[in-house]
Amino acid sequence: MSFFGFDPTAQQHARPQQQQQQQRQQQQQQQQPLDFEETYKGYGDYEPEEEDFLNDETFGNNVELGNNFDFGHSQQQQQQQQPAAAVAAAHVTHRSYVAAAASGTSQQAHMDAAVDLRPMESLWNPNAAPAHAGQAAAGEQVEQQPRVLSMEEIERNQRQMQMHPPPLPPQGYPAVQGYPMPPGNFMPPPGQNYPMMAPPQQQQQFQQQMRPVFNQPNYMGYPGNAPPPHQQQPQQQQQQPQQQMVPPQMQMPPQQQMQQAPPHEQKIAPQVAVPQMARSSSSLSQSSNERENFKSHQRQSHQRQPRNREPLTPEEQKRLEVRHAKVEKILKHSGLMTPRDKDFITRYQLSQIVTEDPYNEDFYFQVYKIIQRGGVVGESNKGLIARAYLEHSGHRLGGRYKRADIALQRMQSQVEKAVTVAKERPLRKQEKEQSRENSNNEGSNSAGSSTTGQSNDNRDGVLGKISSSLNSKAPRRQLQIPTSNKTLLNSLLVNDEHATATKPTNPDALMEVTESLGNVELSQKARVRRRSSYAFTSVDQSSVLSRSGGRKFVLSLIETVYEEVLELEANLRSGKPIDNKNLWDALHINDELYEVCPFISMLSFDKGVKIMPRIFNFLEKDQKLKLLQTFFSELSHLNIIIISSYKTNPEPTEFQLKQIDVFQTVFLKIIVSFLSSSSNFIEIMGLLLHLIKNNNVSFISTSKIGLNLITVLISRAALIRQDTNRNNMLSSPEISTWNEIYDKLFTALESKLAAVFPPKEYIQKVNSVHLKGHATPSASPQHYDQAYIWQFLASLALSGKLNHQRIIIDEVRDQIFGTITEAEQLKENAKTPNESDDDLVYRREKLYQDLNLFLNVMGLVSRDGEISELK
Amino acid sequence: MSNTPLDLLKLNLDERVYVKLRGARSIMGTLQAFDSHCNIVLSDCIETKYLLVDGILQNEERESEMLFIRGDSVTLITTPEEE
Repeated sequence: MSFFGFDPTAQQHARPQQQQQQQRQQQQQQQQPLDFEETYKGYGDYEPEEEDFLNDETFGNNVELGNNFDFGHSQQQQQQQQPAAAVAAAHVTHRSYVAAAASGTSQQAHMDAAVDLRPMESLWNPNAAPAHAGQAAAGEQVEQQPRVLSMEEIERNQRQMQMHPPPLPPQGYPAVQGYPMPPGNFMPPPGQNYPMMAPPQQQQQFQQQMRPVFNQPNYMGYPGNAPPPHQQQPQQQQQQPQQQMVPPQMQMPPQQQMQQAPPHEQKIAPQVAVPQMARSSSSLSQSSNERENFKSHQRQSHQRQPRNREPLTPEEQKRLEVRHAKVEKILKHSGLMTPRDKDFITRYQLSQIVTEDPYNEDFYFQVYKIIQRGGVVGESNKGLIARAYLEHSGHRLGGRYKRADIALQRMQSQVEKAVTVAKERPLRKQEKEQSRENSNNEGSNSAGSSTTGQSNDNRDGVLGKISSSLNSKAPRRQLQIPTSNKTLLNSLLVNDEHATATKPTNPDALMEVTESLGNVELSQKARVRRRSSYAFTSVDQSSVLSRSGGRKFVLSLIETVYEEVLELEANLRSGKPIDNKNLWDALHINDELYEVCPFISMLSFDKGVKIMPRIFNFLEKDQKLKLLQTFFSELSHLNIIIISSYKTNPEPTEFQLKQIDVFQTVFLKIIVSFLSSSSNFIEIMGLLLHLIKNNNVSFISTSKIGLNLITVLISRAALIRQDTNRNNMLSSPEISTWNEIYDKLFTALESKLAAVFPPKEYIQKVNSVHLKGHATPSASPQHYDQAYIWQFLASLALSGKLNHQRIIIDEVRDQIFGTITEAEQLKENAKTPNESDDDLVYRREKLYQDLNLFLNVMGLVSRDGEISELK
Repeated sequence: MSNTPLDLLKLNLDERVYVKLRGARSIMGTLQAFDSHCNIVLSDCIETKYLLVDGILQNEERESEMLFIRGDSVTLITTPEEE
């Protein structure tokens, strides 16, 4: 098979690069079809371009294609390059800069040595040894012993001599600092299997040169050289003296070395040829001679330097090798990055691991830490792990340290966050105002002076939204261009069809919201619902159930849902595709057949509530939204609302209080996480509208769960509004819609705000039930957590205007002062030694804390029985 | 769905049930598990024992967290009346 006349058989054998040019010309002459192998892969086959005549010099003319440039001065590369370089040195005409760069300055030194310092090279540089010597050596039977002193060391020696001062050690490399070794003076660990071997030929030359030197008795006079050979290992003995000969020379100051070098060379030069001759005739006797020499030498060195006597054990050698390999690895890329670069990267990486919620996000680390702290090495620490795990997450209340991560607390933090942002807001505005005035005074910004504050704000974020918080939760985002904003505006101005064509989701949603907003009073169906909830027909659970298909039907639905969820989870585990259609059908969200949606009735049962998180795992976003819309629409029918309202259930049983707890932990958590993670402003408005439109809000607000749900919605909306205020992401129709919805909500609640506080009897009842549940009556009878009420009021006031806030304060004035009085009462009680002080102080603090959450929104704070302005 | 009688029982899993037993006893509790022999596991149970002392009917109550009831003593299972 061939494409375009391509003949695959023609290129079966690989050709060297240099020949390809010629071959290609030949092929052209032969009028062969275009060879893709040549043109596609062979980059170097193009006609030499005019500007490229130095390419060979720059990149080398025999460099393999496709190799990335190695920034490190890897030893491998040096090994590869050196034979080539040696050849090049012989021919001198061509030298690649790549080769030069790769092997560093050593090549340069080598060149100089080869050209200028010919007398020295016989001593130092085996490469540059006379050609005839090399050829003679090639024929010899020399042991291919791993050479101890490598090329690089010799060359570095030279470099140190010639290039003075030696190159600086790599900058900012702390790892190397502990290792006293400037690069120019790098001493290799001795070892038989020294990895950086010169090519055999060089090695032979080197040995030939070094051996005579070694055998020369005079040479032994050098201070500090000559470690002992070992009798049983003649080869190794032979190596070790050589390798240890070098250090003293290296450590010598270069000048001294220079002075000493010439006599050396004189001594050695005549010797070079002799051993070769001798050896070629009788290598055996030669080696035995050497052994004799070693012995004598050993004695000498033994007397002189007993410390050097011990030969290196294999372990030591191995260790040195490992260390050497490590150092090489470190040195390979050293100096590539400046300390600033490193600093930057470190900061970048650290910024990713900063978190505000370490116990949640670094859960495994927390457990690990605990295990580490108490762990005994070698012992089985399973018990420890289990305990650590339980302490952090096992108990239902959030671990031993009571970091209860229940939905309520998330909601609390949400409200608190909103309050703090609100507190900061006026300050920022002031600053902005000031800066604007400044610019006006200077007159430099004429356009800016003509614009009003509003339009100036409008320009914020035109070039993209700037995320203010950078942490692992909210990493820096790409530029967010507020296109939806503009299309939204346009689509509202232009007619509907066009709008749906350009931007399908948002305008529609807003339209729906605004439309239904207009219909709040008119909707006939809603009227029926409202009437029904006014008449408290939903109080009787069995009547609700009968209106949604009957108890048996709802229970069987729950069973079906469980089965579907189990099947989906099984699919998820086995990696099968997931189709949630059956599950969605089983939920009967869109079922119009029944007066009360069966889904709402499912939530009347604990098991129906408990399965919800697992259902949510398998729903799409719009399905979740639809589910929540239904939920909020029919809130009045929800059994849990009726149970948790002091009006309809003034005497809750322990069982019912447990139910309330379960609902709060499970379902509220889902809602909060959905709202905070994936819903936008319009969707939240829609949910709130569903709630207002179809329910008796003032009734719902008398129940704890209902109040929590409203709080979640409005606080989330407030948070989004504040967040987008800065960047002006909300369009004016959105804001006006929100204001309208808020007005409706407020109207529904107005004059009934005091009713969100449950009466004393109810509180006492709840507390007594709680007391009955606990074996030890630690809590006092008046202890009832009203934080959720203050949170509700805080978020309500937060979204409202000044007159709204005034109304709220007017209505709950009694409660505010009641709380303060209660707190002061506790202080009085604390003086009497009846009750434990800690508990009282704690409860007093708690009361103030809750109250201040609300008061802070209005810029007030209450302390020690006084209300003052927030500074 | 509800093809067999025990499927009805299944619907009441995790719900309060009233179980009548031989020997003038009855137990109310949350149904945790059951099998085809009507062996039942109940949690948060209130056991009532009826006694005839000198011709007068008396009852004793006892609470227990978790109970296993052997199926051969069960005579009736139903949903409790509203508490």
